[in-house]
Amino acid sequence: MKNKVPLGPYHPILEEAEYFELEVEGEEVVDLEMEVGWMHRGHEYISEQENFNQAIYLVERICGICSTSHPIACVHAIEDIDNIEIPERAQYIRSLVGEMERIHSHLLWLGLAGHFIGYDTVWMWSWKYREPVLEMMEIISGNRNHYGMMRVGGVGNDVVPQDIPELVDKLEMIEEKMNMISKAVQDDPVLKARLKGVGALTKKEARNYCAVGPVARASGINIDVRKDEPTDAYGKVDFEEIIAENGDVYDKLIVRVKEIFESISICKQCINKLEKIDGPVLNDVKEISKGEGIGRYEAPRGEVFHYIRSDGSNRALRHKIRAPSYMNIPTYKASCPGVSLSDALITLAAVDPCYCCTERALKIKSDSEEKPDLLQLSKQKTERIREEHNGN
Amino acid sequence: MSKLDEFRAEYKNSISDEIEKQKRYYFNIKNKDLREIADYLINDLGLRLSTASGTEMENHLEILYHFSNDETGQYFCPRIIIQNKDNPEVNSIAEIVKGAKWIERELFDFWGIKFKGHPNMKRLLAENHPQEVDKPLRFKEEK
Repeated sequence: MKNKVPLGPYHPILEEAEYFELEVEGEEVVDLEMEVGWMHRGHEYISEQENFNQAIYLVERICGICSTSHPIACVHAIEDIDNIEIPERAQYIRSLVGEMERIHSHLLWLGLAGHFIGYDTVWMWSWKYREPVLEMMEIISGNRNHYGMMRVGGVGNDVVPQDIPELVDKLEMIEEKMNMISKAVQDDPVLKARLKGVGALTKKEARNYCAVGPVARASGINIDVRKDEPTDAYGKVDFEEIIAENGDVYDKLIVRVKEIFESISICKQCINKLEKIDGPVLNDVKEISKGEGIGRYEAPRGEVFHYIRSDGSNRALRHKIRAPSYMNIPTYKASCPGVSLSDALITLAAVDPCYCCTERALKIKSDSEEKPDLLQLSKQKTERIREEHNGN
Repeated sequence: MSKLDEFRAEYKNSISDEIEKQKRYYFNIKNKDLREIADYLINDLGLRLSTASGTEMENHLEILYHFSNDETGQYFCPRIIIQNKDNPEVNSIAEIVKGAKWIERELFDFWGIKFKGHPNMKRLLAENHPQEVDKPLRFKEEK
């Protein structure tokens, strides 16, 4: 007998509003239907009302986790219209910020995946060591997320030399801890037993559903925008494209864990280059001519795609945005049938559907009764960063 | 012979208004050729459907498909012009590539373009809207 189990749209374990209707026969999922639309905010339409510089800040707010992937794809699209070149130093800074985002996004997913299968130790470890990455972002851009770094023609913020030793120290620490976590995860018999062979997506189905990013790579498809169309500094650094074969949840996990090491290596190479290269970080772009441009970037979840059509004015006539989860979520239809109900959730979580935002937690230490408010603290911090940078 | 040359040699009579830029290739096709060309691009040349963008112009609607050649990073973008703005209709390619299902449903939702042969032609985003949406989202709300 077939029964239907509803999941969502407001469900304690789904971080975002999506509705799944699992059709089960006993414990086994035989089919599923999904519905989306609760998170639709009309970004494309809003972006078409704003000028190009404002659009970059707007697309940054599509997602809190990939908050630099959308701006990079957006500036690539605008630069593609006129083939705008960016300074060499800006190329390395763009790639550095993009790769740090990948590290923290993969660590976030690893933690959530551990949490979903009841393995909270993995969750606590991953999120603990995700914290230094956010601190590195704060050193570079002043923000833990929504970095506001990207501009048409370069980046808005330079990496100052006196920050580099701290960045290198933190990267070393993250690499050491990641060695520990990755060994623990890869050698764990419980994780293997729980995740191997679960929710496998075949190479053929992954192609048919046009899957992107780690989901496609775990199924044996070698697509990675960083390799296929090396923009920014990706053509100048060494890294490996991580491919697995089986497409199950375990392979998706392994691909992401290994990608963290590649990202750490790219970050180190970028920082190394930044110590040697001098020069501007932003080219002056006066106007965008009439035409159309495509910009893509390999976000932590896969290819982010932006298409911008300009009529020669200061805003886009059409701005099309396609996030990677848009192509990856429909693959559930191929990967879920056959798994047991208890495995369905981790199969749904394995494509890393984009959770909209991470919040900043702030601990206020104060001896007196009067506690400073957040706004005041934020202003003080901005002032402190400004002084530090001006002083040196 | 590159994939672009192969494609041009095969379909030189079906394409018009070509724009070729570095790694980007835009061209116009007719609705009747869409399925054949999509089938050729995906199954013969091994390209991946990245997405499709709809655009509303003054007198017509446009769909620009984006096919990605992941070996070289080149994009093939066939464009379809729909003159009939009141009742736009285009052939569906969802039977050829399953990834097109949501893309076509979204185009239906935003621009009201009906896809002939789509297995489940309903709205993607406004299906569960608290107020019933009875027209494409491209029409602004009347105040």
